[in-house]
Order: sequence, then C-alpha cells, then structure tokens
Amino acid sequence: MVNSKSKNRSNVIWGFFSSVKLTIVLLIILAIVSILGTVVPQEQGAAEFARRLNPAMLQIFTSLDFFDMYHSIWFRVLIGCLAMNLVICSVDRFPAAWKRFTLRPEPDRTKPFDNLPPHQSFLAQGTPEEIANKVNKLFQSRYKKTRKKEVGANLFFYGERGNYSHFGVYLVHLSVLLIIVGSLVGSFFGFDAYVNILAGEQIDTVMLRKTMRPLKLDFTVRCDKFTVDFYENGAPKEYRSDLSFLVKGKEMAKEKLLVNHPVEFMGITFYQANYGSIPGKTVRVKISCNTAQPTVIDMKVEAGKSIALPGGEGKFKVIDVRGDIMKMGQAALISVQPNQGKPVDFWVFKHGEMARKMLPEPMLKSPKFNPSAFKPYTFFLDGLETKFYTGLQVNRDPGVSIVWIGCFFMIAGLFVTFFLSHMRIWVHLLKTDQGMKISAAGTANKNPVGLQRELEHLTNDLKDLFGKKG
Amino acid sequence: MLNSIILSYTTFVYFAAFMFYLLAMVMNREILARIGTFASLIGLLAQTVGIILRWVESYSLGVGHAPLSNLYESLVFFAWTLMLLYMIVEWRTKNRTFGTFVTPLAFLAMAYASFSPNISSHIQPLIPALKSNWLISHVITCFFGYAAFALSFGLSLMYLLKRLDSEERNNIFLKLIPGLRILDDLNYQMIVVGFLMLTLGIITGAVWAHSAWGTYWSWDPKETWSLITWFIYASVIHSRMVRGWKGKRIAILSMIGFACVLFTYFGVNYLAGLHSYAK
Repeated sequence: MVNSKSKNRSNVIWGFFSSVKLTIVLLIILAIVSILGTVVPQEQGAAEFARRLNPAMLQIFTSLDFFDMYHSIWFRVLIGCLAMNLVICSVDRFPAAWKRFTLRPEPDRTKPFDNLPPHQSFLAQGTPEEIANKVNKLFQSRYKKTRKKEVGANLFFYGERGNYSHFGVYLVHLSVLLIIVGSLVGSFFGFDAYVNILAGEQIDTVMLRKTMRPLKLDFTVRCDKFTVDFYENGAPKEYRSDLSFLVKGKEMAKEKLLVNHPVEFMGITFYQANYGSIPGKTVRVKISCNTAQPTVIDMKVEAGKSIALPGGEGKFKVIDVRGDIMKMGQAALISVQPNQGKPVDFWVFKHGEMARKMLPEPMLKSPKFNPSAFKPYTFFLDGLETKFYTGLQVNRDPGVSIVWIGCFFMIAGLFVTFFLSHMRIWVHLLKTDQGMKISAAGTANKNPVGLQRELEHLTNDLKDLFGKKG
Repeated sequence: MLNSIILSYTTFVYFAAFMFYLLAMVMNREILARIGTFASLIGLLAQTVGIILRWVESYSLGVGHAPLSNLYESLVFFAWTLMLLYMIVEWRTKNRTFGTFVTPLAFLAMAYASFSPNISSHIQPLIPALKSNWLISHVITCFFGYAAFALSFGLSLMYLLKRLDSEERNNIFLKLIPGLRILDDLNYQMIVVGFLMLTLGIITGAVWAHSAWGTYWSWDPKETWSLITWFIYASVIHSRMVRGWKGKRIAILSMIGFACVLFTYFGVNYLAGLHSYAK
C-alpha cells in the first residue's frame, strides 16, 4: 500500500472486502456448503459411503475433500474470507462510528422539538435561576457530556447516554475473530487423541485421532478400577474410572473420572468417553467323561496353556476365545492333542443349546462344532472371564480459553448492539407569562421504544422536581 | 401418569384457542379473540402445572431431573416457551390477531408430542452424558431462541398476507392484521431475541460438549445445522442493519431461517437415520 502502483489494486481489494453484500453472500455460501457436510458422511463414516460411489464421483469427492470438508482448504479459505471481510468492514466503518461517538450537537437545536407530543412538556413555577439549577442538577446526575446554552429567553440543556453502544458491533466482530484464532491455536498447538486402558493396567502412549499415530506422554496413567452402574431399565447410569497418574513411577495424583467431569493432569485433559470389554485369558470349562462311571470336572484354564486330560489320553488347550461369535455369544476354540495322532480342534459355546439351533445343518455335522469330538469327553464352556477397559478421550487445547473469551465478548457485544442505544436528550426551558415552559425531546440511533420510555421517565422526574404529579 | 394426561389435554386447549382466534378474525368479533386469549392462558397455566408435576414425579421415581431430556419433553417445552413468548407479545402490543398464526404451532408441537406413536411420554432416567448442569441452561436458551424464531415466522406469514390487503379486496381477515410497519418492526425484534438466544444456546452447548466429549465443536449434524441457522439469521440482521432491507425480503429470509430451525430440531434425527443406514 506504500507505493502508488499497488495502491489502485489494493483499493479494488479493499473495496471488495469492505462490502456488506460480500458478508451476506459469504454467510449464505457458508450455510449452503455446511449442509453438504451433514449429508455426506464425514471422516470415520466416510469409508462405507465412498464404497458405494462410482469411481468418477469418488474422484470428485476426494479431490474436493468432501469426506473431511470442514477441515478442507476451500472451507478454510471461505472462513478466512469472512474473517478478512469482517476486519476490513470494521476498519472501514470505524471512523464514522468514532465520529458518531464523539459528535456533540449544539444544545440549542430545535429540530428534536418538532411535533413534540403534549405530555412531554409542562409549566413550572419559580424563579428562572432556581428552575435552571434544579434542571441542571438532575441533568448532571442522569446524563454524560452535559452542556447548556442560553439564547434570549430560552435555556437549552443537552446530555447523552449509551454513546459507547456504537462499539457493540465491534465487540461482536472481535469475538468472531477471537473464536477463529482460538480454534487455530487449538489445531496447531493442541492434540486430540484417545486411549483404552484395561482395568488394572497402565499406559503412557495415546493414539492421535487425526494421524492415527501414537503419542508418548510425559507420564503414565493407570486405571485402578472401572465401574459401570445401570438403572433398573438397563440404561447406563454412570461410568467411572479411578485413575492414578505416575511420573517416573512415582504416583503424583489419584482422580476419579466421570462423564461430564474431566480430569486434568500436566496440561492434558482426560474425558470419560466410552468403555468396553474384551475376553480375558481365563476360561472356565467343564469336562464330562462319558465312561462307565460318568464324571464331571470343572476347571479354570489359561488360554494357550496345555493341560493334561483327566484320563491321561493326551493334552488340551484353549487356542482362541471370542466374546461374541456370529451373535451366538461366547465361544472358545479347544484343541485336543492326543498322545498319538493329529490334534482335534472344535468350538464350544457358552450357550450350546442356542448355538445348536442357530447353526446350519452341515456345520452341525462337522466335527469343528462338536463338543464331543474327542471321545469319551464332552467339553462345555462355562464362561469367559471378561475384562473391562475404559475408553478415554485425551486432549490438549491451549486455544480453548481464547474461544471462551470470544464467546463472552460475543454475548456482551450482541447485547449492547441490540438493546442499548445512543440517546441524545435535549431539554428546553422557555420563559412565558404563565411560568417556565419545560419540554424534553431526544433522538436515538436505534430502539425508539427505549427512547420513548426514557423521555417519559425524564419528564416525570422533572415534574416531580416542581411538585407536579406525572 | 398425571403429567402426561394434563399435557395431552393442553393440546386441545391450544386447539380451541386457535379456533377462537381464527373465528374472531373471520367473523370480526372481538369477544371471540378475548375467549382465545382466555383459552391460551388456561392452556399455558395447565401446561406449566403439567411440567412442574412431571419434574416432581421424576423425583418420586428416583430419577429426578428437569423435564428437558428427550424429544417428548423438548416438544412440550417448545410449546410452552412459544405460548409464553406469545402471551407477552399479545400483552405488549394489545393485538390478538397474532394468535391465529402462533397458537397452531403450539398446538402442532403438543399434538406431535402427545399423539405420535414414535414418541414415548415415559419419564426416562438420564444417561451419563446428559447428567450435567449445562443441560438446563442449554435447553432453555435454545428453545427460547426457537420460540422467538417461530413467532418471527408467524409474523412473516402475516406480513406476506397483509401485502395482499387492499381497499377493493375488502377482506375482513386481512384488514384485521396490523399494519405492515408494526409487523416488520416486531418481526425484527423477534429475530434479534431469537438470534441472541440461539447464540447463547450454541455457546452453552459448546461449553457442555467441551466438558462431556473434550471438544467444544465437533461438526456433528446438529451442531452444524444450528450454525447454518445462525449464518442465515446473521445475514438477515446484516441485511437489515447495514443494507436497510425491510419488509418482504426480511419476511422471506426469516421463513427460510425458520425452515433451518425446524431442520436443526427434527431433520437432523432423520440424517442420523441416514447415517446408521449407511453404516
């Protein structure tokens, strides 16, 4: 903008960005493109949707970042344009607002008194000095920047209120910028990750959501206990993780984490996000021996460990456990290794009866699903020991306080902009034969109803000064 | 339960109020409009009792929480805020013709809540994510915003109808609608109130989301649609404040804005349905 060549061009750019038409167009464009992101599944949900698109469409969608559009370049450019528009508009209009803020009209203006409603003027008795003093005192206490002026038999008072309301809109615009800056600070200097911790275990790395890369923390988090409470109707009531934070093996803090009650440690915040269970390593099995003297043995076995069969015919081990297989519930894959010959593998189900009804005929006949595949034993699955894990959201966001300040400014700014107005009030004292005629009038940049109310109050207070009941 | 019985009766009271307001305009009988106001007041009172009773009953069930936690309760609360705001407007403007355009919205919300087979009126315990002090402030601000926008929608409709009024037409119904200037001013006031409330609603929602999910904004469909609504009304306010747009254009924009409000409220559930289908 310094040299004259670029001045012309910058004027064009300035002109473009200082238009409120642009603001309206940008707001409407943002509204329309935002709809797109609610119709096209974003991020995690996108893969399945993408599979159903034909290749050409997929090409278009991916090159335009439709699957993560709120973080795409073009969406950010739109937001950037809005921010630019907002700054330039505000700068462009600031001198005019400043002028309206500082402008002090002459006290002896008569235009505001044109078409004055009769209830805004009345007659007062007393000496002119006494009346003028009383009015002056009231004016001083009620308004700012008060002035008075005497013109012949006329005495004029001027005062104003709410002159700062011209800047409410600047506060709103500043707040939008603060929110944008806060979100940028968050995305550059913060992170968004998650981690699952099994009850009783500890972690020191979390998984970043954006890149799916692990991030090592400066400390260790241990989940001492995880509990879920349910209501009578089965809906979840409360999830609770008891966490310990350790730095170099030394326990620094113990906290309980609940949904809606995050916990912060060394600038990183943990949120109770979800929970789940995985089958543990311990399996409870029942083995019945169908010999002349049937016997049933209960035992707890560790998956992967070989255990001798009760009759010494060989060994068996649990080689796979599933929390839920084909919606038939818990299942374990048992492998029996006879003393001689090939191993026999078969699945046993916790709900054996149900599984038998659900399995198709050919599968039932297969030894793979026959719990009695190794004679003379029949295996039953009593249950898997399940282990709960707590799912934590792990964040650091240094921009969040900037966003909150922005939000506060926005509410304050909107309130000032919408509900306060710059009122300019004039009072006119005129000596007449019947006494002093006192009239009040005013103007306001907005909110005419508020001005009317203010004038009514003022007139009533003036009347009270001179013993007249409003 | 008693509360849902009272609330379902309120539906009929609001319908009666609507009928009286409408007949008053068609037949040009002020007395009918007065009965409409009376019915609205009775309805509002009964609804208030119903809501308080529901709150108390939830405590006696041992799951005590403010009745603002599911679709049924939110619809009831929406109708309540709408009627409350409407009664204030009627009292301030001393004009009863607005009733014809506002009470049917309250009636529809209550009818949907009470008689739709998809909506359960049972008091449900709060799931962990809803157990927050932000629930009340978030829902109240949002719904006062929605109610103000609903009133603005009614006023916009009146504005567009009033434009059809003329000497030759000599239609009583149109004649009774207040002047364009009054409608336009009131419409803008409602948009301003709604915008402030929507902003508060989005902010309280963001604060809540930050403590519940760890992020103040996650572009979920409901959040995005509330932002879309915010963009629309922001453009209405800019076009009015700076460009001086008035009347018809504001009325049409406000109706588009209200369509966005409705989508934010109901349509998003349908989108979520699309999502689960896509999965």
